[in-house]
Amino acid sequence: MTIAAGIGYALLALGPSLSLFVSVISKKPFLILTVLSSTLLWLISLIVLSGLWRGFLPLNSTTWWPYGLLLFTSIAFQEGLRLLFWRVYRRLEDLLDAFADKVSKPRLFMTDKMQISLAGGLGHGVAHAVFFCLSLLTPAFGPATFFVDRCSQIPFFLVSAIIALAFVTIHTFSMVIAFNGYAEGNKMDQLFVPVVHLAAGLVTLVNFASGGCIVSIPLLYFIAILTLIYCGKMVWRRLTEHQSTQGNS
Amino acid sequence: MAPNARPRSILESLGEEIIRIITPVSLCMLLVVILVSVLNTDSSSSYSASATSIATIAYSESSSDSSWDKFLGALLNSLVFVAVVTLVTFLLVLLFYFRCTKFLKYYMGFSSFVVLGFMGGEIAVFLIEKYSIPIDCITFLVVLFNFAVVGVLAVFMTKIAIIVTQGYLVLIGMLVAYWFTLLPEWTTWVLLVAMALYDLAAVLLPVGPLRLLVELAISRDEDIPALVYEARPVNGNDSGSTGGVPQRRVWRDRRGEDSVNGSNHNSNGNSVSGENVNPESNSILNATAVPDSDSDSNSVVIGHTDTSLVRAEEGRVPERDAELSAPLIGGRMNIPPHQPEDDASGESLMLEGIGLGSSGAIKLGLGDFIFYSVLVGRAAMYDFMTVYACYLAIIAGLGVTLMLLALYQKALPALPVSIALGVLFYLLTRFLLEVFVVQCSFNLLMF
Repeated sequence: MTIAAGIGYALLALGPSLSLFVSVISKKPFLILTVLSSTLLWLISLIVLSGLWRGFLPLNSTTWWPYGLLLFTSIAFQEGLRLLFWRVYRRLEDLLDAFADKVSKPRLFMTDKMQISLAGGLGHGVAHAVFFCLSLLTPAFGPATFFVDRCSQIPFFLVSAIIALAFVTIHTFSMVIAFNGYAEGNKMDQLFVPVVHLAAGLVTLVNFASGGCIVSIPLLYFIAILTLIYCGKMVWRRLTEHQSTQGNS
Repeated sequence: MAPNARPRSILESLGEEIIRIITPVSLCMLLVVILVSVLNTDSSSSYSASATSIATIAYSESSSDSSWDKFLGALLNSLVFVAVVTLVTFLLVLLFYFRCTKFLKYYMGFSSFVVLGFMGGEIAVFLIEKYSIPIDCITFLVVLFNFAVVGVLAVFMTKIAIIVTQGYLVLIGMLVAYWFTLLPEWTTWVLLVAMALYDLAAVLLPVGPLRLLVELAISRDEDIPALVYEARPVNGNDSGSTGGVPQRRVWRDRRGEDSVNGSNHNSNGNSVSGENVNPESNSILNATAVPDSDSDSNSVVIGHTDTSLVRAEEGRVPERDAELSAPLIGGRMNIPPHQPEDDASGESLMLEGIGLGSSGAIKLGLGDFIFYSVLVGRAAMYDFMTVYACYLAIIAGLGVTLMLLALYQKALPALPVSIALGVLFYLLTRFLLEVFVVQCSFNLLMF
């Protein structure tokens, strides 16, 4: 595809994350480091998964159930890793608080913690977009473009960019929800995240049917918007609770 | 009611020094990747055939050889290269020992001129050819000459705006790295690994040339003449520090291990006395104490510890604020204060584990920039997925190295960890990840 189209697709997948990065994250160096480390973590999880599945690839592309299995194992692994990420983050939080005490600064505010989890989620989302969408895009500059049989109305790159955008949203905000859930011990939040991830993954399985992307992409966006709204409500709730406790104390 | 004038949280400024060193490294890698992808698409074979240099003196790879032959040939090439580099580093140590610093400085300036002028010129010519830019010889020559001269001045003189110096250093790194990527594939990879091993040996072994160099520099309290990238000190004392207050290099009074020394990379590349990237410009990671001690402003410095990683020799110790530094990583809590005068010594470091004092500027040798960019450039010649993976690996390696530096408080080579991770991720991505992701992606299956 042409350079203009290529940049368009890249911005489609990564535009919102870029603006999030520039407005929120680039101001605080620690958040940039968080983004980089969570991207690395996601990459490592992907490499481990590909190592596990390498022996079985290439899979027969007509049947969908091996892919279902692949999806299931991958998502389970990644959710497990999210838990690990949370543990590490707890340790880090303690260290940061100790450091803040040493330099006589206030401890981490609640908004700081949320920003850190947002940065973590953004790292996951960006990693997804980069590895699933961008890395196939960038070598393909040139005169032609590519269409996939199953979704033949729009170029493959556009489809993958659209799907990547949905996933970026899901990853970014589910990290906020997850961390908040672990912090508060809220079972609902904790369960919401893996369920949503799994649902999103399974929805992409629908793409196996010919013309399936017409159904799966709106469903995927529905899930993404659901995540966004849930996260927004949760954050709003916490902020107002926090305000009221601040006001009272 | 939320307080309006909220006290600034530590998150605002934590980790700033690391970002200030990661940004130019990333920029250099990005530029090399762009150059490689633009210039190498069509002419990979022709240019690599013509790139004879010390690194290909023993064996010139041709695509018809078997893998084993290529590997052996690459090994031979790298051994020759490392041998040359070792010799030149020892020569440098000798020169430094005999106090020929003037000569070294002029040599440094000369090599920067050659890199910017000749290598830069050649790459500019390639670009002009590729994009058919209408420009005549005389204009080109004048522009190039000016560009190179300003570069030399920027590298030499400290009175130039630091952003110009930093920009030129990144450019020099990019140019040399691009030339390295023209080497044949196997040679490049084996060379990278060999240089990482050499770095390890040269810095950690007692007879290593770089270690000798650093010890000499410390014992004389002199500056090592080298092409070193210096990140701006976080305090905003930058321009002031170089201009007004004299930069004090404070060394630890132990055996001078605060710098992370890197391999000496006197690569006699190509037609150019490529070494410009002189000796030990390679990954010397140093923290220079910017003379904040005089201003002695204490705790107001946001989140930064005033104690630098590099400590002063007897009396000169900054009366740093004791409470400012805090070890972030648990174990660091009890660093025994080695310097009697320094209470702050215990803390120091660890601003999230990389621990360099705020008033200290981080210095990274140019050789590190170059070899990281060579790795990423080589990865770019295969596919972009490897580029992203290697980039992340190298940044992770850099972070780990900085952390180890803060932990061990002695000279550590900056190449090995990053190169090891980079090569590992390259191989894993190329052979495992790519198939997986492409399979999933083409079936529009994502998670």
